[in-house]
Amino acid sequence: MWLLLTDAAWIVSIVIFGWLIWDFIRVNMRYSESVLLSSREGVDELFAESGQKEP
Amino acid sequence: MATEYIPPKQGVFGQFFDVTFLLGLVFVVLFLPIWLGIAVPSRVEKLPPGVSYTTNADGTRDWTGLSWDALKQNPTMQAQWEKLGYTKETAAAIITMPFDYKIDVMGVGLTIIIICGYFGFMLVVSEKEYRQVIAEKFD
Amino acid sequence: MDREATAVAGETGSHVGLLKVLGPVHVWALGVGIVLVGEFMGWNYGVGKGGAFGALISCFVIGILYTCVAMIDSEITSTVAAAGGQYAQAKHTIGPLMAFNVGLYMVLTYTMLNASDIQVAGQLVQIAAGNMNVTIPWQPYTILCLALLTLLNYRGVLATLSVNFVITALAFLSILVLFIGVKPWAPHEVLLHSQLLTALPYGWLGVLASFHFGIWYYLGIEGTCQSAEEVRSPGRALPLGTMTGMITLLIAAAITWYVVCGLLPWEYIGWDAELAPLYDAARVTGSSTLTVILFIGTLFSAIASANGCINDAARAWFSMGRDRYLPIWFGAVHPKYRTPFRSILFLTPIAAIFALYIPLAEIITFSILSGLLNYTFMPINMWKFRRKWPIGSIRRGFEHPFHPIPAGVLLTLCVATFFAIYLGYGRQLLSMMLFYIVASAWFAFYRYRYVRRGDQFSMPWPRPQGY
Repeated sequence: MWLLLTDAAWIVSIVIFGWLIWDFIRVNMRYSESVLLSSREGVDELFAESGQKEP
Repeated sequence: MATEYIPPKQGVFGQFFDVTFLLGLVFVVLFLPIWLGIAVPSRVEKLPPGVSYTTNADGTRDWTGLSWDALKQNPTMQAQWEKLGYTKETAAAIITMPFDYKIDVMGVGLTIIIICGYFGFMLVVSEKEYRQVIAEKFD
Repeated sequence: MDREATAVAGETGSHVGLLKVLGPVHVWALGVGIVLVGEFMGWNYGVGKGGAFGALISCFVIGILYTCVAMIDSEITSTVAAAGGQYAQAKHTIGPLMAFNVGLYMVLTYTMLNASDIQVAGQLVQIAAGNMNVTIPWQPYTILCLALLTLLNYRGVLATLSVNFVITALAFLSILVLFIGVKPWAPHEVLLHSQLLTALPYGWLGVLASFHFGIWYYLGIEGTCQSAEEVRSPGRALPLGTMTGMITLLIAAAITWYVVCGLLPWEYIGWDAELAPLYDAARVTGSSTLTVILFIGTLFSAIASANGCINDAARAWFSMGRDRYLPIWFGAVHPKYRTPFRSILFLTPIAAIFALYIPLAEIITFSILSGLLNYTFMPINMWKFRRKWPIGSIRRGFEHPFHPIPAGVLLTLCVATFFAIYLGYGRQLLSMMLFYIVASAWFAFYRYRYVRRGDQFSMPWPRPQGY
């Protein structure tokens, strides 16, 4: 039973990493770099409500 | 108005080089010293008086003079060791390996210089870079 | 190309950003979830370095260190609300090279913590099987744990943190169950403090040396600030989540010490190969119920911690990529799951290799050292922050009292802890410093040319005083 479990652990790990790599490659192919890299450092609610720059 | 600094665009090859460099650094400086047994905790064997052993060819030890008493373990401690599955021989392998806190002045001095030098270098360079950032942002 | 991409981007306006979904409970879970594992494993090496009382004293002293950390961090993070926590702070208060180093501290702290967690999870399965007289390898379970958690993190932050909350709460509960199970109201029945506690084995020098692993009771609580960009109202949620987290940990640490030191000899607790002291404590009580509960608790705490660590390490790495401190390639966000997917995958093999080949105490020491460097940065950060933007010049989410006392205390305790690590782990200390020195030189003399200058300052603040 334990040996079976050990083999199962290997197999499940391989399947998961396989999926991750597949999705990773798919996303990199399908989207352009400019979309993937379009995140900007957040300007937050904390500042949105206080109304931006103080003098 | 300070002129804006336009960084060069880094190509795929350059990016790859940078990643490889950092990965290599992690493995050479952090992984190898431990894996090769260089940077390990400083434990030094210290046998209680009257206790000694000889090591057999297969790595097992023949102890002489070993008792729970010699290891300074009272009956309660002995009972707990045994509940954990230890005999006095296997427990001795742990108990006779205390830390060695010898402070050598050279070593401490070197470590202090390295840590202070590191922080000093970092703060000086950061300050220089920070002034450029502020100048470009606010001028 | 890109019709689908534009559609996705269109949903949130102009760009793909991280989702803003976290409340104070999530912040608590992120903080405590990462740290609680420190009560199940790792703190015990402090017993090895200074004896049982040494570990207890270091628990309290390092508790003071972390109180200072929490105070300073709450003020700055509730003001600099961006992903990357201390890293974003360093960019605004000290400068780029410092920020690069702080980013690396965080990545290494969490990656090594993650490696230690998955190693413990795997070996725990092996130990449990061993108690049933079955011999199995631990490596597949370590890898399985890493695979599952990587998958969770890859697919999105809210699911990840909700899971974390539940398993963290259960792990905490298991400590309480053990505490009640050993009948603390009837000493000598189960708990044997009077027989097992000894005088300080290395004197007061050993107490100082055990500060090293005292850090482990709390290491990672500052991770609460990491996800500031995803928190709904950082000004309230961050201080609240961090402070309640600290209190939770203090309680858990005190109980853990009391129970474990009342059941096991100190040489055993502090031995380099001792993996799970709370689990072993449950085992020697002879109660199989307690043993199973503590097995689950230890496993859960390790998983919760690894989960949070993958999140934090990847976010720090991502932030550095986005700022071009590292190749910009890492600054990518998954268009569907909104996670820093490239950074997550990149750090996974590093965690795996350290988990599989390096002994636990050494992995932990890497994590502790990187954390300690980060805490050494904090007082410098605080002084510069108050000097460049005095109270009143910008809006702060939280102002901590008694400045500069916390900063001074923190710096003093950090120096003491460096010395503590030198005792017994001097060479590892040097190898870690060498790593940061080479990385800093690389950044200062080569990498920085790719970084935009003015863009690094992204907060809507006035010009700092004196510049």
